[in-house]
Amino acid sequence: MAGHRSALENVLENVRRGMIPAHIYNDKELFELEKERLFSRAWVFVAHESEIPHDGDYVVRRVLDDSFIITRDAKGEVHALFNMCLHRGMQVCRAEMGNASNFRCPYHGWTYRNDGRLTGLPFHREAYGGDDGFRRSSQTLVPAPNLASYNGLIFISMDAGAQPLEDFLGDFRFYLDFYTKQSRGGLEVRGPQRWRIKANWKIGAENFAGDMYHTPHTHASIVDIGLFREPKAQKRKDGATYWAQCGGGTTYKLPPGSFDERMRYVGYPVEMIDYIKGVWTPEQQRLVGEDGFMISAASCFPNLSFVHNWPKVLDSADDDVLPFISIRLWQPISENETEVCSWFAVDSAAPPEYKKNSYKAYLMCFGSTGMFEQDDVENWVSLTNTAGGAMARRLLLNSRMGLLSDNRPVVDRLPSEAFHGPGYAQVGYNENNQRALLRLWAEHLELA
Amino acid sequence: MTTSAELGKPVGKPLPFNDTRHLQAHQFLVDEAYLLDAQDYETWLDTLADDIRYLMPVRVTTALGAGFDTSPGMAHFDEDKYSLSRRVARFATEHAWTEDPPSRMRHFITNVRTFACEDEAHLVVESAELLFRSRGDVNEAALVSCGRRDVLRSDRDQWKLAGRTILVDESVLRMQNLAVFL
Repeated sequence: MAGHRSALENVLENVRRGMIPAHIYNDKELFELEKERLFSRAWVFVAHESEIPHDGDYVVRRVLDDSFIITRDAKGEVHALFNMCLHRGMQVCRAEMGNASNFRCPYHGWTYRNDGRLTGLPFHREAYGGDDGFRRSSQTLVPAPNLASYNGLIFISMDAGAQPLEDFLGDFRFYLDFYTKQSRGGLEVRGPQRWRIKANWKIGAENFAGDMYHTPHTHASIVDIGLFREPKAQKRKDGATYWAQCGGGTTYKLPPGSFDERMRYVGYPVEMIDYIKGVWTPEQQRLVGEDGFMISAASCFPNLSFVHNWPKVLDSADDDVLPFISIRLWQPISENETEVCSWFAVDSAAPPEYKKNSYKAYLMCFGSTGMFEQDDVENWVSLTNTAGGAMARRLLLNSRMGLLSDNRPVVDRLPSEAFHGPGYAQVGYNENNQRALLRLWAEHLELA
Repeated sequence: MTTSAELGKPVGKPLPFNDTRHLQAHQFLVDEAYLLDAQDYETWLDTLADDIRYLMPVRVTTALGAGFDTSPGMAHFDEDKYSLSRRVARFATEHAWTEDPPSRMRHFITNVRTFACEDEAHLVVESAELLFRSRGDVNEAALVSCGRRDVLRSDRDQWKLAGRTILVDESVLRMQNLAVFL
């Protein structure tokens, strides 16, 4: 296996200098390694707390091949329970959402409370001699090794010793708040829409993390039909990309104005701006109000993404736009297939009319029918197909945009007085974030 | 907004297959299928009523007796004529890469039955649809199976589609996107 090791070292070394071996987007061996070394310890998003608002509510979600029931028990506490009966291994819950106080295994009738405790075991005394043969009282469905949430986003880690979620997210929380904390009530989400694409999971994560360069070309049709005015090539490059610890994203540069004016420019109603000012820190407000940057797409390592855009969706003569937020999970199925889970998200305190129109904006732009998304997926499927062959093993894709040959940046990083967020930021087209994401990927893959 | 379920109130049993209204409704769906196969979307738009609601909920797996099998508040399509017209306008640009080259498509329509409504201006038409969509030469073709409940409205000498609810038969679509109409 010495040859195999050095082949991996070669891949990781190339990835780190921004020259991406094309086969990493369709490679069975690397996918096995991702399962073993990356998804076995990363924090993976599974659900938002607003999907299970009431006691007894549950959704069933997977981390790769492992099914978990995400429940809210009778005390309001959230659990992530491995969906496998302790006796013969049936899935105790075969629905994907609902409300239940108990889950009863269809095979032999073992019953579990929605906090995981085993409460029913038919013929316990006759079959096992009671607790002497099988101690029922101490048994529970196996909980996820690690469970934590931030702003209602629920994450699982398969590693009981994973660093605390808040430490993992670290500085990226500053940016997560823009998407997930717009009032004290927080987000409510709908969905997800779920569909499978014949594309490697990393491609979407990289794209949302930092690919401002694709927007004017891939999404030219969106500008053509007047749905979203921002991605014109000349305008898109005035945005900045940022990277902070475990994630990064793209922004658009807004026209001059105060915080309130700029929030109104992207379509936030006055009452929402008031809520937002109550929960965003002064630094978070400065990023918009002083620096003039508005968040757009972002990714959090390894496979969670966000988008916030402000299209024109209503049939009216004026130029009114309005924002929408979407949460996105790139759930790996294999080296060349991904299940996309795409939620619509809106602040719970938003006015009903805003919620309705923001939902409309989401459907027109992103998700299974979204007009942005349609063209993205076409590219990613094509890329994945081509990456599976022998020639892709001889090709290094240049992902060095933004770097000169001696690794100096083409454009200097923004000073902190021009960009009030943590991490580092840079105006214009570059692939800093795609490289940062893949560097984290490389770090995980080399740790046995 | 009204759904096709609220718009048309079917009365009684399905119309006999030799009823003229059933024959007209059936022909409407078959003619529409040819327009969709050919991606002749401008012509298709003209067959839609101005107040159409075009809805395709997200299906979910729920326990028997849960009382729902669609994702609350979430759809794949939830369209009015304006948003449909934007989608059609996009296909007419030179930059809708997802359908350039175009898919090879066949909309199979079957199990059609027609119901009269309380008012004579409307018909409710149920149908089963299978969409076969092939792109390129590497990946397997994709299928979408669904049931549809349509409301047709008589508009001078022709029928127009006033409402459509598409009940897809998968909770996870096996199609890369829905850059198509069903």
